Amino acid sequence: MKTSSAPFGAGWLLRMSPQKQDTLLKLMILTIAAVLAFSTRLFSVLQFESVIHEFDPYFNYRTTLFLAEKGFYNFHNWFDDRAWYPLGRIIGGTIYPGLMVTSAAIYNILNFINITINVRNVCVFLAPLFASFTTVVTYLFTRELKDAGAGLVAASMLAIVPGYISRSVAGSYDNEGIAIFCMLLTYTLWVKAAKTGSLFWSVLCALAYFYMVSSWGGYVFLINLIPLHVLILMFTGRFSHRIYVAYSSVYCIGTILSMQIAFVGFQPVQSSEHMAALGVFGLCQIHAFVDYLRSKLSVEQFNLLFKSLVLISGSVMFGAAAVATAAGKISPWTGRFYSLLDPSYAKNNIPIIASVSEHQPTAWSSFYFDLQLLVFMFPVGLYYCFSKLTDANIFIIIYGVTSIYFSGVMVRLMLVLAPVMCILSGIGVSSVLNTYMKNLDVSTKKDKKQKKSDNTYPLKNEIATGVIMIMTSFLIMYTFHCTWVTSEAYSSPSIVLTARGGDNGKIIFDDFREAYYWLRQNTHYNAKIMSWWDYGYQITAIANRTVLVDNNTWNNTHISRVGQAMASTEDKAYEIMRELDVDYVLVIFGGLTGYSSDDINKFLWMVRIGGSTDRGSHIKEADYYTPQGEFRVDKDGSPILLNCLMYKMCYYRFGSVYTEGGKPTGYDRVRNTEIGNKDFELEVLEEAYTTEHWLVRIYKVKNLENRGI
Amino acid sequence: MSAMSYLFTVLALLICISVTDSVYKKKEDSLSDKVSQLTEWNNKKSVIRLTGDKFRELVKTPPKNYSVIVMLTALQSKRQCSVCKQANDEYLILANSWRYSQQFSDRLFFTMVDYDEGPDVFQSLKLNTAPVFMHFPAKGKPKKGDTMDIHRVGFAAEQIARWVQERTDIQVRVFRPPNYSGTLALALLFSLIGGLLYLKRNNLEFLYNKTSWGIGALAIIFAMTSGQMWNHIRGPPLMHKNPQTGQMHYVHASSQGQFIMETYIVMLLNTAVVVGFIMLNEAHTMKSDGRKKRIMALVGLGCVAIFFSLLLSVFRSKYQGYPYR
Repeated sequence: MKTSSAPFGAGWLLRMSPQKQDTLLKLMILTIAAVLAFSTRLFSVLQFESVIHEFDPYFNYRTTLFLAEKGFYNFHNWFDDRAWYPLGRIIGGTIYPGLMVTSAAIYNILNFINITINVRNVCVFLAPLFASFTTVVTYLFTRELKDAGAGLVAASMLAIVPGYISRSVAGSYDNEGIAIFCMLLTYTLWVKAAKTGSLFWSVLCALAYFYMVSSWGGYVFLINLIPLHVLILMFTGRFSHRIYVAYSSVYCIGTILSMQIAFVGFQPVQSSEHMAALGVFGLCQIHAFVDYLRSKLSVEQFNLLFKSLVLISGSVMFGAAAVATAAGKISPWTGRFYSLLDPSYAKNNIPIIASVSEHQPTAWSSFYFDLQLLVFMFPVGLYYCFSKLTDANIFIIIYGVTSIYFSGVMVRLMLVLAPVMCILSGIGVSSVLNTYMKNLDVSTKKDKKQKKSDNTYPLKNEIATGVIMIMTSFLIMYTFHCTWVTSEAYSSPSIVLTARGGDNGKIIFDDFREAYYWLRQNTHYNAKIMSWWDYGYQITAIANRTVLVDNNTWNNTHISRVGQAMASTEDKAYEIMRELDVDYVLVIFGGLTGYSSDDINKFLWMVRIGGSTDRGSHIKEADYYTPQGEFRVDKDGSPILLNCLMYKMCYYRFGSVYTEGGKPTGYDRVRNTEIGNKDFELEVLEEAYTTEHWLVRIYKVKNLENRGI
Repeated sequence: MSAMSYLFTVLALLICISVTDSVYKKKEDSLSDKVSQLTEWNNKKSVIRLTGDKFRELVKTPPKNYSVIVMLTALQSKRQCSVCKQANDEYLILANSWRYSQQFSDRLFFTMVDYDEGPDVFQSLKLNTAPVFMHFPAKGKPKKGDTMDIHRVGFAAEQIARWVQERTDIQVRVFRPPNYSGTLALALLFSLIGGLLYLKRNNLEFLYNKTSWGIGALAIIFAMTSGQMWNHIRGPPLMHKNPQTGQMHYVHASSQGQFIMETYIVMLLNTAVVVGFIMLNEAHTMKSDGRKKRIMALVGLGCVAIFFSLLLSVFRSKYQGYPYR
């Protein structure tokens, strides 16, 4: 105990009533958990620097910057002409603004009270901040379900669970970072509302739901889960006035509020994903009405009325649904929805869904990797919930079972699963500890004798010690596992790369930002940059230059046009580049450093997408393979590949560079071959800039000749 | 003299004509023979099995007015070519679609040569892999594109059909026999549930029995956390046999994949740990004598400890060097 070193503090502590001590202890544990949640997410800042990660966060950062500078109305009406040149993009109406509004608000408040912080730092640290909020909310939620002890365990587990950290490390400034907080807050308030049946909690729940809708498209899960809860309560005969008040008000206020988000619009009353909520709302009214009638009528009258009512309302509903679907008012089931229900649907029918790595199914090892001991503590917690069923427990059971199903289908939904895993595991762990801590005989001897008489068995103390030790070691292992996973697997920003050097030191490749800053400093403000769409967000955000395509892949033909330019010969590509007013072309090349996700490895996608539209029908994937069907860049490679624009831009001057000892010049370290076309000059382009490790190469498009020939 | 020479020329011409005529006739005969032969076989089976001799006679030898698609494969189980079986299934689908389609004619035949029935064919075509799809056109020799590139486009029936259309201008619309097994299983399940409900119609209390629902929920959880959904979508093999040593591998060595057997093992281990925990809890709440309680608690504790370490070692075999100290 730390009291020994500070007698003054101990005296102060002992003078407090047990209740106050209890509160203080809970507060301390919760604070520590929240601080831990924040600090464990700072690995990336410590290993690199305070930098925004990956691709989408750069877009969010740029929009936040705009919002903080220009105000909300300009943001809402923002037409972005720096992307998708010459089409542009309406930003205000096509994004979930919750994230940007949150960070802009934090930025403005902090600056108002004279804490000067810039927007970038707000963005970088927003996700960790909200993770510690989530920790607190988890405590509150679990306390509603079981007790404060379970809440503390769940909160501490959630603070470091890798499944959640993967999307909320410092710098990964994305919607999911705050959405999990919103989701758990909504659930907490919903359970509270369902328990009390008070309008106050219901309205708060609707407001939390509004915040959730404004920040993430995953709110659809939420608006289906709550109705499902109500439905199951109806089936189990637990429906009451409390549930009626709670659900009716949450649904009405929540739906009206959610329709205020421009991107959501009229979907809550039109699309089929929201129809379950509407249906249950109607069912609620009918159920309440039937209950009212039953209390007023005799049994026979009631039965007759009930039957005819069911028949009429059923046929009317069916007819209305059929008419609305036929008229196209209710949008048909979207592919993403089907892929959740029947996992093989997407695989067979929608290649774009199947191809995205986040949409892959989850192997058992990734469950274990992301959740460790939660994998088997979760069912234990579920067992406890089943043994003591309440309205709230039913909710958490439904949440657990549905989310584990969805996360099994899509690895990305691990994020939704992680909180409920922590909550149920917290319940499980705390129940086991609660049971056996009591058996642990540390009390005085006379106490022991008293107890032995009524409820005990031989070796009780020893077994209890064993259980406590095992639980302790499990929790310690969990901590080590989570910390390791966070620091090694989930904390790389992907815009700054690292590699292990020969002397086991860390080498940092900061070429991306080098190139983007070069563009920012050395090109005309209105210069148009052509690159593959992956780098669009980063170029607009860091270099502040206009791009043709970016990560919001809304226009396939436009992307296809860029793909055609990359896959064509120089003179063909020049026509396309003149048509699109391109000033600079940017390619990512990993051949010198061995960075494998470079443009040559993505090139086949460019060819495929380029050839997928009418104007690119002359581009055939087969032409880029050797007769044996291999994709290779050495001498045996297809001559069309060796002369296309992408190849030339990547390997310009590369033929005279030594990359590895014992290998000839022009040895590509990703493909592990000597390149086939070494000695060539560029005709319509000139090299403008190549970064230190050749990761990014920028070319300037030459102007037309002064005089025609 | 001139009359003589004239006569000779006429004679020579006549002989010539009669000879060519007979040769032509013979050719015609052999062609119609071949066609009728092939058609007859084709009426019996949609894919014609060829031996080495038949292959040379019907496919290689020139007088032809029909295209032949040949699948060169090795279906004997001793060859251990699992790809060949899948390719064969797809090929059969395509051949059947052609056989029962409206445009079915004697312009196109689907045939196959098994390695064990005609190894000389493989030698003459300089092939050392299987399966290979080749097209032998009606006129001339097969060119580069007449060998289908299955490495790139795969061997789905639709892909083969597209390739066939490219080479022969004959469009075959692939008709896959619908897979009724899923629907049937679903119908069976529903009728079973319906039947059970009907039988128990007087006593529907069990629907409100939380234990059965609890077990159902736990079953879903164990199925998911052990990656059954991954199996369902990816269809991995049951286990892997090392071809060199003949040793069986139950656990996939990398974190990227898994075997079906491995997921069962993991499911079992997970269940065992959970059962251990539940026993620990039950031991405390159970109303019976101390002896039973003690045994139950001990067994539960043992379950948790042993099966968790087993689970950890399975995981360690996938992530080499875990826990990375």
